Amino acid sequence: MSNVSRQNPYKPVMMRIEQVIIENDARDLKTFDLSFVNEYERAQFKFIPGQFAFLSIAGVGEAPFGIASAPHEPLIKFTVKRVGVFTTALHELEPRAVIGMRGPWGNSYPFGLMENKDVVIVSGGFSFTTLRATICHLLHPENRSRYRRITVIYGARSPGELLYKKELQGWEKDPNLNLVICVDRLNGADWPAREGLVPNVLKEVAPDSNNAIALVCGPPIMLKYTQPVLKDLGFKPDQIFLSLENRMKCGIGKCGHCSIGPKYVCLDGPVFSYAQLLDLPPDY
Amino acid sequence: MNPRIITKDELNRLIDQLINTTKVYAPVRDKTGARWAKISSSTEVYLEEVNTRDPAKGFFFPRCELLLKFDQQGCPVEPEPPGATVVFGIRPCDARGLEFIKKFYTGQDRNDPYVRARVEQTVLIGVACSQPAPTCFCLAVGGSPHSQTGLDLLLIDLGNAYLAQPVSEKGEELSRTYPEADERSLKLASELREKVEAEIRTRIDTERLLAILKDGFNSAVWAELSKRCVNCGICTLLCPTCHCFDITDESVRGKVARYRVWDSCQFPFYSRHASGHNPRFSPSSRFRNRVMDKFYYTVEQVGEISCVGCGRCSANCPAGINICQTVQEIMETK
Repeated sequence: MSNVSRQNPYKPVMMRIEQVIIENDARDLKTFDLSFVNEYERAQFKFIPGQFAFLSIAGVGEAPFGIASAPHEPLIKFTVKRVGVFTTALHELEPRAVIGMRGPWGNSYPFGLMENKDVVIVSGGFSFTTLRATICHLLHPENRSRYRRITVIYGARSPGELLYKKELQGWEKDPNLNLVICVDRLNGADWPAREGLVPNVLKEVAPDSNNAIALVCGPPIMLKYTQPVLKDLGFKPDQIFLSLENRMKCGIGKCGHCSIGPKYVCLDGPVFSYAQLLDLPPDY
Repeated sequence: MNPRIITKDELNRLIDQLINTTKVYAPVRDKTGARWAKISSSTEVYLEEVNTRDPAKGFFFPRCELLLKFDQQGCPVEPEPPGATVVFGIRPCDARGLEFIKKFYTGQDRNDPYVRARVEQTVLIGVACSQPAPTCFCLAVGGSPHSQTGLDLLLIDLGNAYLAQPVSEKGEELSRTYPEADERSLKLASELREKVEAEIRTRIDTERLLAILKDGFNSAVWAELSKRCVNCGICTLLCPTCHCFDITDESVRGKVARYRVWDSCQFPFYSRHASGHNPRFSPSSRFRNRVMDKFYYTVEQVGEISCVGCGRCSANCPAGINICQTVQEIMETK
């Protein structure tokens, strides 16, 4: 018998929805805080920010989502945009409903590599989820001293589209990180302070690339224009990490959907260094 | 493990005995040639065709596998494990295909309880090919009409008897009561092997092909080669090693179940992101993905190419695309 786990990786554990938060003005982004129906499964569920899990509704299906909570938080958090059949069914659920979850799958952000370095987080839109987990993890009193300066640049189209608004307002006052929030259009709102696109704001903030790691997550158009800015700031391809979101069905490198050349986003990713991506075909 | 001699009558009796205790599958005659079916008598076995229409991969990786049922509360319940199965009359190329599926799903650090259960419960009795089909090219991709890879027992047709070569303990168990093969039979078997191998003339320099593909993602050859391809996916569905699947839920009159079913990288929705973005939107990018996967990607993933040379993709392509010609053109373009 091999050392490989005999557990069935396709079988979800049962989770109870404890809280549902509508995140944006468009009302198509909801955050679900989940608890384990069977307490012993909580202890077995060990994850690192950057990893993802499948949520499951019997008779509807499954879909993968980045885990938005940090490991020390009691509830498992997912922020889900309503785009298709599964996410629509999920959005209809209320607290006390029971759903399935399987995972965690994938690698994580490179926390070992980030130690004793500056951390620069660049994010746009609703891809902020696993980076929220990352920020909470970095700011935890047990972890904070292992990392140097933390800079976060987070943008959305309009103020109403920013995720986790209350938390953001708390972090703006937190001396442990430098949070810069920007929106494409302020539309007369008095918060956040900045109007501008993420790549331009990144250029203005100009974080030091010396002994630093950049974590980038956002829509393809933002990634495209962020890359040259990071390069100008002196970030090398192996200092930049991106999280990808290919279509996937299994999460364990079998179903084939998320392949990028010989790699699988679910197994070898979802976090890749820009240096790794330069070596892969642009199939993402 | 010593080769044995089994007369054709004895073999039929053995098959009928196996039918009494386990499920036995074999190629049976069908209007398209031969197909896999559960048999209830040895007389149903039909070995006149080299290839069955479908590959044998379904014995480890069925077209549709029940993953889970859900009870009234939505709790997942695992299905009963599959029972013992004997597959009789499998060709060496299909057995190599199953060996690939086994390695891909249950090899080192790989866990798939459904494939694993089928692998453990299945006995594979192969029959060596005496006459290759025009589309056969197993020799070009590391196989042979007499290859033993993946089998438990290989039978070689000597005329009125079979030479039975046990490959595993399961095969030894099945064959040990029969007399050991004499020198003459062994010599005849090896002559037959030489004869049938000489009839397969296609050769592919897979090492050179690998080097070309590693560098060839942006080659102009893909657009040219894929012009005729209609992305119907038959090449992937009939491929003994193609292993992609979709997971889908079914809810009928309160009975809820989750299945996995074969999927194909040739279909446009296969790679479409939730955002609508599709990295393999163009038909030629999907065509490229299949060739790359067969001869490059799986070499990186499990250490071997994933073509066994059965020729089903070429024989069944509605656009007449032949994988050997495709490979030839890739090598010549570079």
